[in-house]
Amino acid sequence: MIFEEPRYLYSGDRYLLLEFGDEMNLELNFKALGLAETVADDPIPGVIETVPSFATLLVHYEPDQTDFHTLKDALHERVASLGSTADITLPSRIVELPCCYDDPWTKAAVDDYRKKIKMIEPNPEATARLNGLRDVRELIKVHSTPQYWVAAVGFWPGLPFMMSLDPRYVLTVPKYNPPRTWTPQGTVGMGGSCTAIYPVNTPGGYQIFGRTPVPIWDGAQKFAPFSKSPVLLKPGDRVKFVPIDAREFIEIENEVAAGTYTYNIVDYDLFAVARYTQFFEQGKKDVGYSAAAAEEQSATTVA
Amino acid sequence: MLEFIKPGLETSVQDFPGRIGFWSLGIPPSGPMDALSFQLTNVAAGNAPGDPGLEVQFIGPEIRFQADTVVAVGGADMKPKVNGQLIPGWEGVPVSTGDVLTFGFAAQGCRSYVAVAGGVDIPRVMGSCSTFVKANIGGIGGGAAKAGTVLKTSPSVRPLAECSGRRIVDAARPAFGASWEVEVLLGPHDDWLTDADINQFTSFEWKVSSLSDRTGYRIEGPDFEFGHKAHNKLPENGSDPSNIIDFGYSVGSVNFCGQTPIILMVDGPSLGGFVNPFTVLSTSLWKLGQAKPGDHVRFKVVTEEEARALRADFKAAVSEQSVTR
Repeated sequence: MIFEEPRYLYSGDRYLLLEFGDEMNLELNFKALGLAETVADDPIPGVIETVPSFATLLVHYEPDQTDFHTLKDALHERVASLGSTADITLPSRIVELPCCYDDPWTKAAVDDYRKKIKMIEPNPEATARLNGLRDVRELIKVHSTPQYWVAAVGFWPGLPFMMSLDPRYVLTVPKYNPPRTWTPQGTVGMGGSCTAIYPVNTPGGYQIFGRTPVPIWDGAQKFAPFSKSPVLLKPGDRVKFVPIDAREFIEIENEVAAGTYTYNIVDYDLFAVARYTQFFEQGKKDVGYSAAAAEEQSATTVA
Repeated sequence: MLEFIKPGLETSVQDFPGRIGFWSLGIPPSGPMDALSFQLTNVAAGNAPGDPGLEVQFIGPEIRFQADTVVAVGGADMKPKVNGQLIPGWEGVPVSTGDVLTFGFAAQGCRSYVAVAGGVDIPRVMGSCSTFVKANIGGIGGGAAKAGTVLKTSPSVRPLAECSGRRIVDAARPAFGASWEVEVLLGPHDDWLTDADINQFTSFEWKVSSLSDRTGYRIEGPDFEFGHKAHNKLPENGSDPSNIIDFGYSVGSVNFCGQTPIILMVDGPSLGGFVNPFTVLSTSLWKLGQAKPGDHVRFKVVTEEEARALRADFKAAVSEQSVTR
């Protein structure tokens, strides 16, 4: 449900959690990002930072400079001035990331889990089967066709949580239980309908079936897109995966190691929610969320 | 300069309030686990309360001073010695070139803090010297001290003679023990629990699990029922009663992972999909930072006004008012 009025919740003596609703719906995330954007552009006294997520905005504040009630009123005014979600326009970069699907590295991680922890169905076959797709080729097509919306970044430094922007290309998978103890750096995986990229080798619970050779975390900040922080993807960015094979993966990996790799980022784009909603409604009317549609439709851009 | 002869279990550089402003990218504040002792120790050494200093955990390091300076050691009493002689805690102690600082074990609490006059001088990463060891962010080249690590110190703003003998008054020193009363505010998800669950959480004496570190403190105790909201929700929230659509966490959140409450500490995750029915006050989190595995913890729900009063007490403690000579 999308709440008529947002809920303002105590989250300790330094944080306020604002809930726009309680469902997984991109409209709620657009509201959270729109509000985060206005607070960043025109700061509210006492606010240190905000953390947008799918349906919420966490507001970190300095209690010596404001209090929960003053902040709640100020945020409520901002929410009102945002107008309807359709009026929201967000700066949104488009980041192209090469992705080697059905790659040997994530397969090795899954094999290791199957041997040591639990005998599960291997990927990417499991993800394809669970979504009624014919084969791995079709899975690659369905996963690499839409743009992905970075709804939130976190849990681990630089880890993006992304949703497909095309209702015709949405996959859904269960998470691992128990989680893996390791996942190769750059692994692309899914939990629920959310796609994530592992910035570094960490434990993880998502189904994994691809890997990007391009760092999304650069601790040394040597590549240009990392001049402000070691994190590549920010909430409100869009990601487009470009399928590559293992040979291309190695080539790009070598360019990265040599420091000669150039990121492919469109930095001037805006994302207009009204235009997107129009597209989304049309997309929902089209047949099939994946299999059939994947064959018929070519890549679609929005905004 | 400070030279590490032995590094200790995980001795790291921290400052306060740490790495602030990167929570929306998943980068935690880090900083000291016990922000009260850390700041008081700095005050004793004549520094600003948030200046970069050392956090010593469980097993202390062995440090040789490569210059004359003043050192203060506070937090858990790990029986600090200089050249084998016990030194008083919470006090600026003059040391000479070649002197060696060593530690024993704490009977109560588990983290000591070392402040040298002027503070430790290492490069700032994203505005802070604090260390997030698990992700190699900040600190000494991304990590904790190693044998052979040498740290520079910044010049002290006070003459060393003035730093020496500065002492934190007894009344301002935190009380240590094996059981802790930790203040929490209700929320954000107290309405996901039943009244009985809330009563159980605040009346039970919880045991600190050995699976506790700078990212989170697990506590052991009884199971919860969870309320209507937790059992009647859309599938995208997840199947377990404790699951919710991923949202931004607070430092100090009491994060219900299934039936295990985990209190998120200064190196903790910025978001996730488990409910937080309670949040530990920022001015009370230091107690968990000192709690050892096996210690007991009780939680006390306070009002907003009580939280404000505790904050005022905390701020008054971390000031020149607490210093005597």
